[in-house]
Amino acid sequence: MIPGQRRSIFHWLAFLAVATLAAPASGHAQTNRSPGGTLVVAISADPGHLNPAITTSGATHTAAELIYNGLLGRDERGDPVPDLAESWVIEQSGAVYRFRLRDGVTWHDGTRFTAADVKFSFDEVLLKFHARTKASMSGALAGIEAPDDRTVIFRFKQPYAPLLQQLDATEAPIVAKHLYQGSDPQTNPANASPVGTGPFKFVAYKKGAEIRLARNAAYSKRGLPYLDEIVMRVIPDPGTQVLALESGEVDFLWGVPGPHQSRLQADARFRMGQTSYHPGGSNCIMTVSFNLDRPTLKDVRVRRAIALALDRDAFLRQVLFNEGKVATAPISSEILWAHARGLTLPSFDRAEAERLLEASGWKKERDATRVARGVAGVPDGTRFTLDFLHFPAFAKYGELMRQQLGAVGIDVTQRPLEPAVFAPTVFKDRAFDTNVISYCNGPDPEIGVRRMYHSSQIGPAPFTNAAGYRNERVDALFDRAGRTVERERRSELYRQIQEILVQELPYVWLVETPTTRAWSARCSGFKAWTGLFAEEASCKR
Amino acid sequence: MSPRYLLRRVAQVVPAVGGIVLLAFIVIHTAPGDPVLALAGEHGDAAYYAFMRQKFGLDRSLPEQLLAYASRLLHGDLGVSYVHGRPVVDVVSERLPATLLLTTTALALSSAGGLALGVLAARRADRTADFVVRTGALLGYATPSFWLAQIAAITLALGTGLFPVQGFTDARRQLAGGRYVLDVLHHLVLPALVLAAGELALTTRLTRAGVLEGLATDYARTARAKGLPDRAVVRHALRNAMLPLVTVIGGRVGMIVTGAVLVETVFAWPGLGQLMLSSIQTRDVPVLLGMFLLVSVAVIIVNLLTDLAYAWLDPRVRYE
Repeated sequence: MIPGQRRSIFHWLAFLAVATLAAPASGHAQTNRSPGGTLVVAISADPGHLNPAITTSGATHTAAELIYNGLLGRDERGDPVPDLAESWVIEQSGAVYRFRLRDGVTWHDGTRFTAADVKFSFDEVLLKFHARTKASMSGALAGIEAPDDRTVIFRFKQPYAPLLQQLDATEAPIVAKHLYQGSDPQTNPANASPVGTGPFKFVAYKKGAEIRLARNAAYSKRGLPYLDEIVMRVIPDPGTQVLALESGEVDFLWGVPGPHQSRLQADARFRMGQTSYHPGGSNCIMTVSFNLDRPTLKDVRVRRAIALALDRDAFLRQVLFNEGKVATAPISSEILWAHARGLTLPSFDRAEAERLLEASGWKKERDATRVARGVAGVPDGTRFTLDFLHFPAFAKYGELMRQQLGAVGIDVTQRPLEPAVFAPTVFKDRAFDTNVISYCNGPDPEIGVRRMYHSSQIGPAPFTNAAGYRNERVDALFDRAGRTVERERRSELYRQIQEILVQELPYVWLVETPTTRAWSARCSGFKAWTGLFAEEASCKR
Repeated sequence: MSPRYLLRRVAQVVPAVGGIVLLAFIVIHTAPGDPVLALAGEHGDAAYYAFMRQKFGLDRSLPEQLLAYASRLLHGDLGVSYVHGRPVVDVVSERLPATLLLTTTALALSSAGGLALGVLAARRADRTADFVVRTGALLGYATPSFWLAQIAAITLALGTGLFPVQGFTDARRQLAGGRYVLDVLHHLVLPALVLAAGELALTTRLTRAGVLEGLATDYARTARAKGLPDRAVVRHALRNAMLPLVTVIGGRVGMIVTGAVLVETVFAWPGLGQLMLSSIQTRDVPVLLGMFLLVSVAVIIVNLLTDLAYAWLDPRVRYE
């Protein structure tokens, strides 16, 4: 725990399940776990390559992060902890960050790790190829310096708040300068036979089948890791993954489909725990976007009526099999300091929804579907129809939308589109009325929340401000929050933002969607909140 | 068969493959979807997308991209995978052995099994064995392979513990030599059986129909009248039934590769089917084009071999 930081009862309850993943203890090198053993992990896709610095692909990150380290790690609350950097100092109100690197760290090939590796990783790899790091940091950064082998300095054009949340192995894995210098990082052969500083060394990559890693005996954190070997086994079908766990062919699943959870839960051979962290995106909220350019959806009373007509508990039960929770604010409850508690989001009230629709000019006449009578910008007699775009995997959200809005006289048409088509349709062409997106807030609102609401984030880049929401005050508050390093002040700014959003409802925040990890009961010590999830894990032989 | 005929048939492969590549290129590039988006995930900014498009040449017009692709292809270069960052030839050839093993085993199982069951059903026409084989074939033909795969994994793998649920080898053991081969064969059983099931049903039905037809002909009646044993009569009928059967088996090679996409996904078999699915999802165009090229050449070659098999099966067939 970092001294001086408060932990509320709420926090402990929220993370109870996750904390069990680390049982019996999360402090490294202090447990009595016996070394040795093999852990077989099911991964959903062949990563293609094993360099997490050149991609945000969940497939590469799940398979490869254990080979690398970031400057910092994350604790179970998402707060920064030392990793390659042993300490840091924030200067000039957050415009300068100075890191002191751990001594005696070596790459898996024996070469000494230095500050030059960090500078090179950012300048030549991360800020060019890691989409998230490039998008959030490159415009703000003035430069990175490595004045000596153990010091790295980040200088920003103005105070930059989220940096410490962007330095773990997921957001900024450090790669070896001596292997990548002078090459195209995307085609460098080291991507397929990687060399990192992490707890496990690369052994073999059988394409489409498995990646084998072995214990790094020279790991900089003494006594770690415990496991001798990790095998990342590619199993694309989630149902097969569960069967493989049950048959003992694998030991760890990154996710368990809802219908299988109760079966595994009841089986003493397995342990389960929820976490909102995932290398592909953390702290995700399933969110309905309204296209605010559409005359039908400009009136906040209509948006409120839609929000009131949606029974979000039903989404939790029927779509997620209770794996998650109903959203209570625009920012995920997993970002404890930024999430606003006590807000009043519209809760299911069909009668009030119908009253608001009537008041806003959408009348119930002969048909079940309402028609416009005096709605601004909408010809009288127009039927209230909405299309609803979603990934094919989110079809159940569409079915419930159609059912629940149909009950108040709004006719919803589902339009399933695969991700590669969905994104340009929504963000470039803006050819939609409503949609549902799993917006992942990331470790800091500056990374995954700002993009949803700031007016500078309206198209064409994917997964930005889908609603087309514009509010100068909200823009200004986000800008201030991004420059404010002091957490309590930031927290207050985000609270103000969320209060405005709940009033204006450019979106409906449906449910927070953690994932459920499952693993063999003979294994323990997993850190589900980080990409280095097996750094402290062990398995009885 | 004259060498000239063979040469002419081989020469026909070139425009056929060219046409397939052209069609595949146009279809893939005009289909909705953005490979750069699939690579960048949800947090990229406009500059990143522009940079990646330029890097992959996706910022150029479609004719320019086609010209560049065709020019590389003529030099034997299939390009570099967007996702894997390595030459397509390497990416595809790494997966080829697993798919070849699976599909040839499935094809061999379905052909041999279908012939045997079809002959059995024909010889016992309208009796219990025939009824069982016909019903089984109908079920096998009507059952979707992805469903059959799930059921096989639940019952035969998890239920009995006789077979592994997934994979090419056992993840916990690194075997070599004969033990490695046995391990692979152990993992091959279920996927090959599931992939063979649909084809087995089709072959069984065709064989039964062909043999029954043959047994009803004059030559069969004459052979029987001469006192030839039943087995020998069936052999004669079977040879005549083989002609349409070979046509169908040859034509099913493309279908069996399609089936492999589903079966490989369910059983986590590291072959081309799995690669094809993930490449479609990520819009990895160079890999997809490379696989289309490979499969289309394979289908054309198999069809050529099928034609050649006619001459061997039926001495009346002559290619000039």
